[in-house]
Amino acid sequence: MQQILVTGASRGLGLSMVEHLLAQGNIVFGCARGQSAFSHKNYHHFEADVSNEEDVSNLFIQIRKSFKYIDVLINNAGVARMNAFALTPFKNMRETIDVNYAGTFMCCQKAISLLRKSANPRIINMSTVAVPMNLEGEAAYAASKSAVESLTRVLAKELSSFNITCNAIGPSPIATDLIRGVGEEKIARLVKQQAIQKMAQPEDVLNLIDFFIKPQSKMITGQIIYLGGIS
Amino acid sequence: MTHDEIQSLVFAALELTNQSREDDAQVPISPETALFGKQGHLDSMGLVALLIDIEDMLLDQDIQVSLSDERAMSAANSPFKNVSSLVEHIDKLLSGE
Repeated sequence: MQQILVTGASRGLGLSMVEHLLAQGNIVFGCARGQSAFSHKNYHHFEADVSNEEDVSNLFIQIRKSFKYIDVLINNAGVARMNAFALTPFKNMRETIDVNYAGTFMCCQKAISLLRKSANPRIINMSTVAVPMNLEGEAAYAASKSAVESLTRVLAKELSSFNITCNAIGPSPIATDLIRGVGEEKIARLVKQQAIQKMAQPEDVLNLIDFFIKPQSKMITGQIIYLGGIS
Repeated sequence: MTHDEIQSLVFAALELTNQSREDDAQVPISPETALFGKQGHLDSMGLVALLIDIEDMLLDQDIQVSLSDERAMSAANSPFKNVSSLVEHIDKLLSGE
């Protein structure tokens, strides 16, 4: 049984993670900007906007007060607004960076003291195949996730003295809210560029989470694993 | 918190630090102990760990403070130089200076 925090937990992939981790008997803390309709005896929901420093501080203070420590932090909260670069409003770019990168940065920072109390502390960040594929129409999104990848590699080094591993998962297209606005044709074109030319399923991401969390994965850090055979 | 209470808290955090260090790398528990920089006993991650422990102990007393704020990181005289400068730094932060 582990204590796991999932950000962006109220829907999509985050909710799948919460359900999966609860089914394994873990205690799961979820956060989202709003309330969650989900309930489970081992699920504790917190309202927090990961791009707001005060919210993030309060989130970790509340978890610390009631539960003392966490074993795993999964930085899943993210926004994606597909737009041609020339037409991307500055505000949208800023929000994308604030949630995807700054949110991940702050959660990692605030989590250190709680993770240090765990025997197998893990940070798992979420990237995307949009980074290695340099996808058109995703300048802000891909750049924000590229920053998450750099952060992941640097933290792997800086936090290794605390035995904290830090890795990232780069999903290929999965049918979630995040890519709802992307045309079917574009998705099909993307999938065709993968070694495995199929849409991924949430289970494919959950499998990687299980892998990173395992105590035996203590020597795996600073790695970005993409689904679908993208490299 | 009084100056002496802060110093006791820093000493307690240093004792925690020593628990994870080899016998020949123990940090002396004294106000004069050099912490970070020239002749300091801690490397950058050792300092980070110490500051996290102190912040944690303060949180146990419902005191929320960041010891590594911008002012501290850019100060000409580093507040992390030795134990007494760290105690002074915490004292200032807590009294809102």
